[in-house]
Amino acid sequence: MKRLELLSRILITLAIVGAVGTPLYFWSRTPLIHARIAENGGWTPDVIRANVGEPLHLKLTSDDVVHGFAVGQMDMQSVDVLPGKVTDLTLIFDKPGIYTFYCTRWCGLNHWRMRGTIEVGGSSSDTQPASAPLYVTLKINIDAPHNAPTIPVQKPSALRGQSFSTQLPITNSTNYYRANSPYQVFDELSNTSLTETERWDVAAYLWQSNTTAESLANGQRLYAQNCAACHGENGAGDGVFADDLTALGATLQRSMTGDNKMTMQTPADFTDPKRMMGASPALLQGKILRGGMGTGMPMWGSIFTEEQIWDLIAYLYSFQFEYQK
Amino acid sequence: MHSRFFLLILIIAGLVVAFVPLSFRPIAPQERTFRIGARQFAYSPSELKVNPGDKVTIQLVSTDVVHGLYIDGYDISIEADPGQTAALNFFADKPGSFRFRCNVTCGAMHPFMIGKLTVGSNQWLYRSIGLSIIAAISLFFIRSTRPSDRQLPITIY
Repeated sequence: MKRLELLSRILITLAIVGAVGTPLYFWSRTPLIHARIAENGGWTPDVIRANVGEPLHLKLTSDDVVHGFAVGQMDMQSVDVLPGKVTDLTLIFDKPGIYTFYCTRWCGLNHWRMRGTIEVGGSSSDTQPASAPLYVTLKINIDAPHNAPTIPVQKPSALRGQSFSTQLPITNSTNYYRANSPYQVFDELSNTSLTETERWDVAAYLWQSNTTAESLANGQRLYAQNCAACHGENGAGDGVFADDLTALGATLQRSMTGDNKMTMQTPADFTDPKRMMGASPALLQGKILRGGMGTGMPMWGSIFTEEQIWDLIAYLYSFQFEYQK
Repeated sequence: MHSRFFLLILIIAGLVVAFVPLSFRPIAPQERTFRIGARQFAYSPSELKVNPGDKVTIQLVSTDVVHGLYIDGYDISIEADPGQTAALNFFADKPGSFRFRCNVTCGAMHPFMIGKLTVGSNQWLYRSIGLSIIAAISLFFIRSTRPSDRQLPITIY
């Protein structure tokens, strides 16, 4: 009797310790990822390993300000990473590869430097080779100046352009739109009977017919979240960080001489017709994909999907063209 | 008799000072828009003055990290990321002075990121000044009256 009682007591104790301890054990084994502003180290750790098809559990916390977490090119809702709180997250990857995770809430001038990688190992039956982006196949030099020699007198209107577009020598295909700048369209129409204003209107119509209201709205959302802090909410290159970038560029130029001499440029002004009329969507895609250009422009290739970049580009042209609602 | 009469006058004067509405011409409600810049760890401007009944719009522009703005008393808030101006619309229907504060943890000095919203003039400041003057006068008068009357006005004011 005494032995049995002792045995049952031991069993009950073990069951309780097991029921409480097992989840605690697994929770404590989940890596806790700390987020700090980029100047103080960004993500720690910044390399995470996972396997295809296996759920990856993550715990995220912030050591200073509000950050966010999302994985690039993945259809996921970003989560907020708040100081003093732990956010739990489970991800499943269905393709092996190196994914980029990044901060989604602006946390300062170097917010975009807060990135890390998830190395997903394993094999996949789907071996689709990546295709080269359009600016590479078209051999566009995205660092060369691309200003349009002439600019429209008034804002080109897609509505007016529609009426001239029926008897035109150019094709209204997606490939044509992506490879040509509005100025090239304007130039190609120079042997027609249309006036200069009408030729710009046709370009506006072409640009509008290659996008949808949905794409524009998506582009606008992406722009507000990722671009507006530097390029400005109205696209004029006057975002809240523009002054800081200029100041940073001035100090860099002072400290670097000789071969390292560089010029820091301010964020691009999308309301400038010279710049936008001379830029083809393929050129803008290259700039967004790669970043750089001697500025603080981040590389977005590992974060945005191709579709997201085209939506964003469609929205950038809406600073120039009058689209019908 | 005299002291009773003075007492009555003082009580009436006190009630008048405390409760008579100060502004005889009501100020027409306006629409007011404030653009507040938020950075670590301050708002600029950090003091807002509106009239009761005004339709107030606060545009919050953050210039470094994510900041918020929560108005005490009104219990409303917004949150702004850099590059995404947030707007807060409300009717200033509660008079008084209210603290507004950052409600998104924005760094070490986050608790000290505060500002002030004043709705209407600070009437109770002027009223309490008036009441204390009356109290001072009453002390002066009660000196010359019987000791039994002395306690009464003091306990009232």
